[in-house]
This record gives sequence, structure tokens and C-alpha cells, in this order.
Amino acid sequence: MSDRQRHGFVLLLVVGLIAASIVVLATQKTVLGLDLKGGIELVYQGEPSPQTPKVTQAALDRAVDIMRSRVDQLGVSEPSIQTTGENLITVGLPDVHDVKRAEDEVGQTAQLYFYDWEANVLTPAGKPAAQGLLTQDTDSVTLSTGGTAGQPGVPGAGGQPLYQAVKLAAKQPPQPLSKTQSRKGPAYYFFGAPGSAACAAAAKADNTKPVAGQHCLLNGPDTSTQDLYDNLPAGVTKADGELVTVPQGTVVLQAANPSASDVISPTSPNAEFFVLKDNVALTGNDITNPQPSTDQSGQPDVTFSFNGAGQSKFSKVTGEIAHRGSNVSLGGQSLNQHFAVALDNQLITVPQIDFRQYPDGIVGGGGADITGGFTSQSASDLATQLRLGALPIELKRISEEEVSATLGQQALHQGLVAGAAGLIIVMLFLIAYYRVLGLIAVAGLLVYGLYFYALIKLIPITLTLAGIAGLILTIGVAADANIVIFERVKEEIRAGRSIRAGIATGYKKGLTAIIDANVVTIMTAFILFVLATSDVQGFAFTLGIGTIVSLFTAVLATQAILMTMGDSRTIARPSALGAGGKKHEWTFDFMGASKYFFSLSGVILLIGALAIGGRGLNLGIDFTSGARIDVTLAKPATSSSLQSIVRGAGVQEPVVQQIGTKGTQFQISSKPLSVGSGRVEQAIAAKYGQPKSFGATTVGPTFGQSVAHSAVIAIIASLLVISLYVTLRFSWKFAVPVLIALMHDLLITSGVYALTGREVTVDTVAALLTILGYSLYDTIIVFDRVRENIPRMPRAAFSQIVNRSMSEVLTRSLATTSCTLLPVIALLLFGGSTLKDFAFALLIGVASGAYSSIFIASPVLTHWKERESVYRHRRERIEADYGFVAAYASAGSDVDPARDRSRRRGGRLTEPDPEGVSAAEFEQMKRDIAEEEAEPRRRTSTLTKRLAHSSDGEGDGSGSGRSGGNGAAGTGGGRSGGAGRGGSGGRSGAGGRGAGGRGAAGRGAGAAGRGAGGGAPGQPQGGEPTPPPSSTPPIDPEKLDEPLAGEDFEHAPDEPEEGGIARAPKSDRSSKPRRGNRRHGRRR
Amino acid sequence: MGMLAWVMMGLALWHFTVWLPDRYWGGIVGAFIGALIGSALFGLIVNGFSIPGRHDTHLYTALEAIPGALIGIGIIYFEGVRRERAGGAGPVQI
Repeated sequence: MSDRQRHGFVLLLVVGLIAASIVVLATQKTVLGLDLKGGIELVYQGEPSPQTPKVTQAALDRAVDIMRSRVDQLGVSEPSIQTTGENLITVGLPDVHDVKRAEDEVGQTAQLYFYDWEANVLTPAGKPAAQGLLTQDTDSVTLSTGGTAGQPGVPGAGGQPLYQAVKLAAKQPPQPLSKTQSRKGPAYYFFGAPGSAACAAAAKADNTKPVAGQHCLLNGPDTSTQDLYDNLPAGVTKADGELVTVPQGTVVLQAANPSASDVISPTSPNAEFFVLKDNVALTGNDITNPQPSTDQSGQPDVTFSFNGAGQSKFSKVTGEIAHRGSNVSLGGQSLNQHFAVALDNQLITVPQIDFRQYPDGIVGGGGADITGGFTSQSASDLATQLRLGALPIELKRISEEEVSATLGQQALHQGLVAGAAGLIIVMLFLIAYYRVLGLIAVAGLLVYGLYFYALIKLIPITLTLAGIAGLILTIGVAADANIVIFERVKEEIRAGRSIRAGIATGYKKGLTAIIDANVVTIMTAFILFVLATSDVQGFAFTLGIGTIVSLFTAVLATQAILMTMGDSRTIARPSALGAGGKKHEWTFDFMGASKYFFSLSGVILLIGALAIGGRGLNLGIDFTSGARIDVTLAKPATSSSLQSIVRGAGVQEPVVQQIGTKGTQFQISSKPLSVGSGRVEQAIAAKYGQPKSFGATTVGPTFGQSVAHSAVIAIIASLLVISLYVTLRFSWKFAVPVLIALMHDLLITSGVYALTGREVTVDTVAALLTILGYSLYDTIIVFDRVRENIPRMPRAAFSQIVNRSMSEVLTRSLATTSCTLLPVIALLLFGGSTLKDFAFALLIGVASGAYSSIFIASPVLTHWKERESVYRHRRERIEADYGFVAAYASAGSDVDPARDRSRRRGGRLTEPDPEGVSAAEFEQMKRDIAEEEAEPRRRTSTLTKRLAHSSDGEGDGSGSGRSGGNGAAGTGGGRSGGAGRGGSGGRSGAGGRGAGGRGAAGRGAGAAGRGAGGGAPGQPQGGEPTPPPSSTPPIDPEKLDEPLAGEDFEHAPDEPEEGGIARAPKSDRSSKPRRGNRRHGRRR
Repeated sequence: MGMLAWVMMGLALWHFTVWLPDRYWGGIVGAFIGALIGSALFGLIVNGFSIPGRHDTHLYTALEAIPGALIGIGIIYFEGVRRERAGGAGPVQI
């Protein structure tokens, strides 16, 4: 397929995809996230249960399936339930009206437990009731018969206040874990003393009154003491109460509700509790087909059947209960025994087994029913929960976020404005800077936007605020790719290539750097997606997909457009592409000045470190736990009045902050909400009218730990992947400066956050991780050019190579950084608070990344590489010859023909020759040949003689090939084929690469391989010397390491080592004349 | 938070090593490792091998890293000098 055909095909593909995208946009709906359309998001943390001792991905997936079924029963449209990280489940419920019911339904474990009542319930003396029945122990009989209450397991049937029950349970010995237990590990309770200030504070927080003479529950039960203490009521510390631990193997269950209309809260003074040995007979997993129904008296109940295992267990336990009933019923007395049904720490019912009717228990073939205090709704809910199955793991709610639809629309509007602003700014920049090329880039950006939006609808990607941030950032990525290529194209055209050749070569050369940079961004996005929380996942997903799409549009589409236009008058002149004038030459000594920039960074980091120590990071509620309410009131209010309203609604320690000057927008921070956010909204509505927008977020302490944990893993994983990739694509010595630069960027961003006191949120962490990818973008652009220049400058000091590389890519770096920063600034100006969080961190990080790639990564690389003997010797040689090492290698010594092509710049370039050498190269080669023929003897300088015995090229990174052998081979090619500069021996100084490879190939015009010489100012051009055929016999490649007979010389100082540690050769080169070398250098 | 302050201080001080002759063992990267390990280790030792949490991190916590970083850089420097002298030649290639 010819180029023209290929570009035609790409254009056809682009047009076809545009048409398909338009169809998708017209027919598909955009799926908006909760933060954009309103709803509730709950984050649960999975914890092990006796049945599932370890939280595995399979258990999480099973829990998600069950939760999804429950949500479906609620009739919620487009719910989102997914696992995140190691043990988190995120539930998104858009447009939910009954938030409380949804919370209860979705996350409740709903595990039903059946206990043999008398065998397990403990008397105040700590003995099972069954043991005291034969002796007619009063407590035992009361527990079995229900005493005055008339039925067991209800208030007044031998239960105790919570404190006494828990203290009794705490005295029981811990039992080893078994599958017949309902709980793994101990349960912790935290009580306040009767009449204590802690109890008063707790009662105030709950809007209740402390019960005189009773211990109050300050917090619990909880499976972690840290969580227990972290969630204490306002004004209560761990020193204010008593920690009571209930060991594994014992449970405290609340008494059953007396009736459906008499529901007793666990914190009510009337609540009673029973202590049971945690020896479960069967669970909800053993039943089938639960249905809401009514009993004979018309009261709601739940009927069900047993599965095979359940039937067997039920038969066994009821048989044991019946036998015991028969045994304890003495003297005509009938003491029927019972089994208890409990759900989520509360008894539901304690029915009896009539031992006379069922002397051997109940077979269970006909199923059973549960009665006791149900309403039609609660019976239906329980039947649904049982039908869907219990969750295989315990779930603890660690975060809750509620966003009103209005707030969502507001956020969406802000996001779209920021996106549009970012796009327009980038477009203007591209057009202003690149003219026709800019227009093509803009076309590419528009195509990119169209494809990306179509993909968002097609997949579909749930569009969240974070996702919009990712989308806006990818605008920068897409533009960056174009800039990298366009700068390359301009370079090639300025160097004398025709327009078509310049475009073809520019794309070819620019592609490597773009792919390297974008692959890293994609990898970072992937790591973020795998490890981060759901919000950040949206960001990572859009960033990853956007980067891939931008690769297509920026590389393939724009190339096809440009190549198709290659012969048109629109881009006939270089000036149309912005390549008309002389390129701005940066002559700054980057490496020389690096000490000062290093010091500047050091000072900034020093200040940052002191700020981190002195001020610390202002961690948001995502990390510290707490609640945040964003509200826009219908009418103005003062902070103090709003504070008293929300405090009255049960919000603990509210801090109200007014936003703006209208007096209607407020942000309220508080301890985690112990009351529903709906109650707070109602209280506000009652005073100020229905709020225009309302959003509440409650975060538990473990959520922050989980976020931080994920972030640390993501950073480590990203760094490892980046190191590996850079090592593979460059070399490991390039990877270390990259890591140092990344660390520099992350720490500087952290320091700025500490200095400014800006809140660190989960979005900030996402932005920090993104910085890893972006910071690398610039560094890779610079390193890519260094890598390219190393073989082109085989005689130059490494600092000169880096200086020249910097000079060549600085304009490009500045342009790409601007293009990334422009949309980020748009985010900062026009985005809402979430987008601003992203934008601020990105602004600092991207700016720092651009700076560090030039002034940190490259100097570190230079310092390190210059310790290598090959570069140390080059430096020594240059210093010995000239007394100093100039910042830049001179143009004359650099074979890159770019410098000599200016004379062809003005006119129309009518000689498309994409594969051949440029005119300037050709001229250069002709001069080389002429010089070779005129001065055959002058090539054998002392240094070139030395170099004849170098067995290898430049070694690490230089990419040089074999020298002597290739040089010899190149000579033949050069002499006979006309030039072969690289192979022409000592004259041209092509490093190994130019010698054998290109020289022999005789690339283009029958002229020569493009020898890749280069070196220090006026320094000699080494390369592979070949003695003139008339005076010197051909060199045997096998004997390259042997000194030539009769020659008095030492090994070339830049002879590479075979690897490992090698010492610098002792050289007295400073005392030896370098006339030949200098002459050689001056001549060039 | 304490570890962040230490590492940041170590990194900050490392930036000034460019003003000294490059005789570090392992070059500038060796100095980098020395500064980071030195600052973190010294901070840990001073704090009884515990890392100050968010509320326990103060200005002094950051300053605690300075001697450690300097010691770390110093050790790397003198080891480099020692090896250089032992080898009787220029810096060892790594």
C-alpha cells in the first residue's frame, strides 16, 4: 500500500468514525454519575464473618450480586454497585427518595440465626437456662417461660439492661472460632457512668435525656477499638468511659419488639437484652422460598421452607428441644422449650416446640413460619432479604454522600463551562502558535472530542465530575502530541527537507516520544483505576480512554490530513507551518546553571519540609472522618443562626462557613452524622424554606485509611511500572533521574499544600498520582532527544549532549506544558470545588514536572553519566585540548546538517525526497569526500590512531557499533560507493554507528551514510580511522585490540569498558601534543 | 506525616550536594540515597523508632532530619573518597 493510499484509507476511517460518532451521539444517552444528577453514594467496608473468615474478591462479588438484587427490589433505576480496592463496595443510588430505607435494605447483613433458646440463653449467674430448669431456678424458669411477660425473649421476660448484659457477656470465656458462630472476634462496647458528663454529652448528641442511675452506651458494639474511639460523641474522649469487651463465642441480643407498633430502639431505657452462647443451630442460608404471609390471627408473618441441609439441622435441633422439654416437664407440668430466631443482633421471635405434639422434633418438610411483631412492610422486607440471601460478609458503612439533583446540575454546568473554556483556550493557543498546523491540530482536537464523547455514550462511561476533569486533561494530552510532532516537522523543514519529507520524518521521529509518554500515562491511569476509589476511578478511566483516543487522532488523523495537503498551495511554504524563520536557538548553559536551579529546588523543598512539620497537611474529611454539608438556602441567613439550626437537628460540633457574599451558600463541617441527612435538610427547610441545593457527605475513619492505603500502593505501583518502562525503553540509568524528579514533584506539591493550607481530599490524591504520569511526559521528551543525540555526538561531553538536547526541545517542552496548563487553569477558574481540587494539585504538579525534567532529571542524569569512564574521558580530553568544556559542541563538529541548510529555506521546496538525504546533507558529504581525497595522510592523527584500536563504540547509551571492523568495512563502501562518511575512516569521525551501518548502506543518492559525528567545539572527530590504502594494510577485525606493530600509542581514552567496574586509565595526555586533533577539529 | 517531613528535608538538603565535588560513592544518586536514608533513620532513632503522626509532627520534627541527612551524605562522600584513594585513580564507575 502506497503512502497516498494509506493516508486515504486513514482519512476514510476518520470520516467513517465521525459519522458513527454522530449516530451514537444522536441515539445514546449520557449516563451521569450521582454527583452530576443527584442521589446517594454509600461506601461499605467488607469484614470477615465466621462463615467467611477472609474477605475475598469472590465474597465481595457475591455480596455485590445480592446487594444489586436488593436494590432492584427497591426499584432504583441505574444503580451502580461495584467493588473497589481490596475490601470496599461502593453503592450509587440515583434519585432515591427514601434514603434511610435504601441504606437499611442494601447494606444490612440480613443473616438469620436460629438458636436453641434454653440451651444457650444465660441467666444472670452465667449459666444456661436449661441447666436450672430441673432445679426450678427462678431466673432459668423466667427466661424459659417469659415470666410475667408470658412469652420468652421479649421485654420483661428476664432480660437485662444493656450494661448488665454486656458485663455478663464479658465474663464468659472466649471460644475458638467455629462455623456455628455468628460473629468473628470480640465485640467492643464503650459505656459512660451514670450521671457522668459523657452520658450527658451523648444524650445531647442524640437529642435525648440521660437515664438516671443507668450506664449509657457511648458507642458500640464495634469490632475495632479504633473505630469505637474514633466515633465517640462530641465532647467525649476515651478517658471518659469504660470499655467492655464481649469475647468471641458470646452474643448480646436485644429483646424482640412486643408488637409491630411497639418498636423499641436499642438506646431506649426500656430496651432489654439477653446474653446467649453463640452456638447457631442453623442460618438463613438453610431456608428457601421465604414469603410474606399472615398467620391464623391475620397478623403478618414470614413463611419459608428448608433446603436439604436446613431440614436436617432443623429436625435435629427441634428434636433436641422437644426431648429436653419432655425431660424437664415433671409432675404433669408442661415446660415446652423454645428456639430463637435472631436477625442482625435482635431477637425476632422465640417460638416453642410442643414436645407432646412433636416428641421427636419437627421434620421441617412442610416448612415453617416466623411470627412476631411484623408489619406488612417489615414482613415483606424480611422475606425479600431472606429470599435474596444474607450477605456472605459483614459490611460496615464507612462513607455516605448525598447530592441533591440541583447541586448535581450545578456541578455539571460548572464542569461543562470549564471543559469548553479549556478547549477554546487550547485551540486559540494552537492556532496562534502553529498557524496552518494549528488549524489542523484544532481539527484533530474536535475530532478527538467527538470520538471521545461518543465513546463515553457508547460504552457507556458514567460521567462524573472527576471524569470531566480527566476529559479536560486529555484535551491537553491530545494537544501535546500534536505539538511534539509539529515541532519535529518544523525542525525537519528548517533543516532543509521538503514539506512532504519534513512531515513524514517529523511524524516518524516524534512518534517514539509520544508513545513513550502516553504509554506511561495510560499505565498510570490503569493503576489508578484498579486501586482507587470510585470517584477517582471515573477520572482514571476517562484519562486512560482519552489518551488512547488522542493517540489516534493526534498521530494518525492529523498526519493523514497533513500528508493529503502536502502538495497543496496552503502549506507550500514553510512559513505556513511556522517554520519560516530561523528557529529560536536556546544557548543557555542548562547544565552549568543546574547548580543554581538545584539550590532553588532545595530551598523550596526546605520551606515545604518546614511547612509540613510546622503546619502539617490540612487533611479533609476523606482522611480524618467527619461530615460536610453543602447547602444553598432559599433565603439569606447568618452562619450562627444556621449553626444553631443544624445543631438542633443533631449535627455534632458543626462549623458553618459562608461561601460567597450572598449569605445563601454555606458549607457545614461536623463530626460524622449520627442522624440522617434528611433530618438536617428538613430542619433547614423548616427555617429557611426548601434549600435550592443540598449535599451531605459523611465519612467514617476507616474510609480515609483505605484511601491513603490505596494511594500509597498506587504510587509505589506507578513508580515501579514507570521505572521498568523507562529502563526498557532507555536504560536503567535514565530511570533513576526520572524517579528522583517524580519524587521532587510530589514533595513540592505536598509542600505547597502545607504552605497554603489547602485541603487535601481524595481528589488531591488522584491528582498527585496523575502528576506522576504528566511529570514524566516532559522528562521523556527531553530524554528521548538525549538518547537520539548520544550517537550523533560521539565526541561530546555528556553535558554538551544534554545542553544541546535541551536547546532543541525546550520550545517544545514549554509549548506542551502550556497546553496542559491552559485547560488546568480553566478548571481552576471555572470548575466547582471538586474540579478545583484536581486543578490546583495538577497546576503545581505539572509546572513542577516541566521544571524538574529540565533542571532536576537532566542534571542528575548528566552528573551520573559523566562518571562513566567513556564520558569522563571525553571531558578530560576536551579539557586537555582546550582547557575547558564549552556549554555546547560547535556546529562544525556536529554532523547534523541542520545548521547549513538555511540558504534553502526561503523558496518553495519542490524536491520531495522523503527517504533520501537532504540537500544540505548532500553538500556536506561532498565536502567530506573532497577533503578526504585532498588530504589522505592528514586523517591519521595521533588520536585517530588510538581510536583505531578501540574494539567497541561509545558504550552505554551511545548506540555506537563496532568501530575498527566497521570502519574498515565502511572504508570500502565509502571509497567505492562514493563517500560512506561513517566508514571513511578517521576523517569523518562517525561513531561506530555511522561507520559500518549507514556508511556501508550508502544511504541515498549514492552518496553516503549519514555519519553521525559530532563533538566538542573544535575537538577532533574521532570515529573509525582507516589508514590510507596505499600505506596501511587492511585492519583485521579480530586483532583490533592488539597494538599495531611499530606504533607508539596507548588505548584511546574513550575506549569503553566491557562492563562492571573499571578504573580510569592513567593518562599523561595533557603533556602530549594534540596538534593533529586540534587541526582536525579546527578544520571542521 | 513525620516521615514525610523527614524525607522532604533529606531531599531538600541533597539538592545542595551539587556544590561539592562529585566524589560521592555512587555519585549524585549515592548522595541522594544517603540523604534519604540518613534523614529517615535519624528521625526514627530520635523518636524511639516510631513515626510521629499527624498531630505529633511539629517544626522540630522536620529539623530532626537535618543531622541525619548530613551524616548520610557525609558517609557517602567519605566512602567515595576512601574508595577513590584505595583505587588510586578517579571515581569508580558504577
